[in-house]
Amino acid sequence: MWIAIYYLFCYLVFGYTMLLMASYLYLVIMSRKAQKNQGINIPDDETIKYFMQGSPLTPAVSIIAPAFNEEVTILDNVNSLMQIDYPNFEIIIVNDASTDRTMELLINEYKLVEVPYDIAMKVQSKPIKRVLKSTEEKYSKLVVVDKEHGGKKADGSNAGINVCSNKYFVCTDVDCIIEPMALYRMMWIVLNSHRPVIGVSATMLMSNGCIVEDGRVVEAAVPSTLVPMFQQLEYLRSFLISKLGWSSINALPNISGGFGLFDTDVAVKSGGYDPTSMAEDVDMLLRMVTYMKNTGQDFRLGQVPKVCCWTEGPGTVKTLCRQRMRWARGLFEIISNHRKLFFNPHYGPIGAFTLPYIFIFEFIAPVLEMTGFLFMVWLVLAGGVNWDSAIILFGMIYIFSIFMSFFVLYFDYSTKAVEWKNTRISYLKLLMVTLLEPFIYHPIITYCSNVGYWRFISNQTAVWKPIQRKGVKKKKS
Amino acid sequence: MRTVSIVKYYFNLVLAYSTYYLQYAIGMFADYPPEVKVAVSVTVMCLVLMAVMGFALLYLSRHRKKLRKIRLRLEDRFGKAMDYMLSTEAQKLMSTQEIASVFGIPKEGIGKEILKNRREKEIFVQLFYQRFITERSDLANRNNITSLLYLFGIPEFLEKEVSLRSMKHKVDAMGKIRTFKLPVSPWVINKLLSSKHLTVQRLAMYSNIMLSSDSDLDYFETDFFDKHCCIKDEIELAYSLQRRRRAGLKLPNLARWANLQKNERSQCMFVRLMRRFDELEYCDQLTELYKTQHRKKKLIEEISRTWGYLHYTDSEDLLIDALLAQPDDTKVAIMHALTRFATGRSLHALLEGFKNTTNPHVRFEALRCMYNYGDEGRAQFDELERNAEEGDKKFFDFFKNSITLEKIGLDKEQAYHPSVETVYNG
Repeated sequence: MWIAIYYLFCYLVFGYTMLLMASYLYLVIMSRKAQKNQGINIPDDETIKYFMQGSPLTPAVSIIAPAFNEEVTILDNVNSLMQIDYPNFEIIIVNDASTDRTMELLINEYKLVEVPYDIAMKVQSKPIKRVLKSTEEKYSKLVVVDKEHGGKKADGSNAGINVCSNKYFVCTDVDCIIEPMALYRMMWIVLNSHRPVIGVSATMLMSNGCIVEDGRVVEAAVPSTLVPMFQQLEYLRSFLISKLGWSSINALPNISGGFGLFDTDVAVKSGGYDPTSMAEDVDMLLRMVTYMKNTGQDFRLGQVPKVCCWTEGPGTVKTLCRQRMRWARGLFEIISNHRKLFFNPHYGPIGAFTLPYIFIFEFIAPVLEMTGFLFMVWLVLAGGVNWDSAIILFGMIYIFSIFMSFFVLYFDYSTKAVEWKNTRISYLKLLMVTLLEPFIYHPIITYCSNVGYWRFISNQTAVWKPIQRKGVKKKKS
Repeated sequence: MRTVSIVKYYFNLVLAYSTYYLQYAIGMFADYPPEVKVAVSVTVMCLVLMAVMGFALLYLSRHRKKLRKIRLRLEDRFGKAMDYMLSTEAQKLMSTQEIASVFGIPKEGIGKEILKNRREKEIFVQLFYQRFITERSDLANRNNITSLLYLFGIPEFLEKEVSLRSMKHKVDAMGKIRTFKLPVSPWVINKLLSSKHLTVQRLAMYSNIMLSSDSDLDYFETDFFDKHCCIKDEIELAYSLQRRRRAGLKLPNLARWANLQKNERSQCMFVRLMRRFDELEYCDQLTELYKTQHRKKKLIEEISRTWGYLHYTDSEDLLIDALLAQPDDTKVAIMHALTRFATGRSLHALLEGFKNTTNPHVRFEALRCMYNYGDEGRAQFDELERNAEEGDKKFFDFFKNSITLEKIGLDKEQAYHPSVETVYNG
């Protein structure tokens, strides 16, 4: 009987691995297809700009950026947001009752005064104390919202949604560095779709190691330390293969909270962000999809294959672990809150394919991997390993993981998704990381996910500690 | 012949070696279980694919280097001349010889191929296109630009791109033809229109609307926009129509096109375009649509807005009748249209609109319309405010503050002035 269980487990794991690899291959093919289709529809940046800049029909966008105790970087960040090139947009900075000089700095720098503002509390957020605008014409795009402390980014974003007056809004973090052409690239997807676009995800990369000048990334480079380097590769894979692949069948599972565009009306009707959620971005997107499907409306979700936003990621293993544990809890929460969507074709390709994929290959994987590892240790101790077969199987997985990373680099180069400062050195660094990733980075992530799950199950309170930012390198003038 | 035989020889050699090693590999793993065989196959497949990608990367990198070199060379040789052609100094009409001398081309070179091949022409167009789509291009003398492009053989090249190459090239080339406003032969347009790709068909259509002197869209099938209609189409159409109007050409009958569509989205698009181009002349043709398609609330909303904006007062009775039967969003559009007419006949309808709903947004808009209706409307507003119940008082306060905001919105300087009184903040 034990032998039967042993074989069953082995074949189960083997089948699971093969299925996972097949699904990765499928995503690779779909992402390539999506890129090819979009290649026809997405012209170069200059042409997009020429087309949209001169038209009064170009939809207006509100950029919402919640801030809490950001006195060190707030002015740089607002200036960076001001650099965005788009004909019609407003910037809404939501001050979540900062206890430092954030508000004071904003008022002094931009000559802000309190103005009467017509606010309907369309989605739930802590009360808004005042709305401020600049007395100077050059800052006319800036709206600063001062609100009571909500403690979560979601609450600040909701306050921003209540104030925003445009059909589309972009939610971002104040510390993100946004590419000047980002809004054009995102809105191009909206303009080209014959179905109403309810959300567009943009490719985000790590700003660690990049050189920034006047709020713009002038030299894109791969981080020099190992932890951010691993994440850079992971982000590239996630955005350029996974998300782009899913978007080709209109089944994008997530629009990152760091930089994503949403239809304001649909977001409001689905209740906005949930401040109690640990994965508020996925949660809101799934509620939006549910709303659209339940009301029988057709919709589209898009992904921009070019980099639009740079964000500073965790620089140490400790902060990385904290972030991944929170993500794992968020995933667990999403799965329990939105279980009716899973394996449910009523919710379209998201319900039928993406969410089952997430459940089987992202949610279960860390548990299975941990079990597999323990099982392997037991087999080694018991002397029951067929080393020839084991090495071959391990080799397959290792080579496949390298293949995936190699593909993403090829994809990046052929589509010019990122304009690296020194392409050759950047790729060499990333290739080196590819070789190490299965031995160093992946076990850490697996461990963190399992701990995150455990904390969720055992009802341990989640403490959201902000990542210690080191700041980006600035070009010396 | 010799080359062919050498290639054949090496091909056979490689084939023989591969077959030998494959058989060797199969033999080596013959005794292993099936999962190991699968694993080996996957590994080999990954390695082969990686090798292919590696070669592709090398090729791409070399190719890009080559293109960069050509680009630099052309920029170096013609860059300044291109800038000159878009400057204010080149606004006067120039002869082909003058243009050639600006570009450093000798007399005897005129009429001959200046750019060697397709790749050079492509890069030349790109370089010029990037300059041309800036604001400076408005200053340029259109005839000079056309002569310049003909001098370099660009129009023929773009036409070839449009008719021969892949969809991507067709789309790119058509975009450039339209940007430079080059005349396109009817043969090319017909070829594009018969393309199986909608994107290409549409480009042909927009180009034709913009460039041809025909006054209607009759050369397209009536359900053309029903197949696929997006915001970009509206922008493209608006551009094309705007250029027609600037050139003094008549616009097509947009109301007729709105009537011909079946899809609500495309119907709305044509109605909006009517509003945008002040096409009051054909407003009466929307009446039938309004009566028969009353279930399409977006369309009714757009038509109401258009009538209001264009002051088509003949529709007032129709709008008053429809007001209470429509959903909330449409009600708001109708009320705004009635306010724009301000004939004095529809004030009671606004009052009904205010009383017959519990939706705060609709009530709010009804009040706003009353307030803006003129003296009669203002009087009615004041009366309503006086008689408002306790619960509604706050609503009126809120409304008044919003009017303050609206005033601010109208007067920009005032809006940024700190002396603006703050009455309500959330």
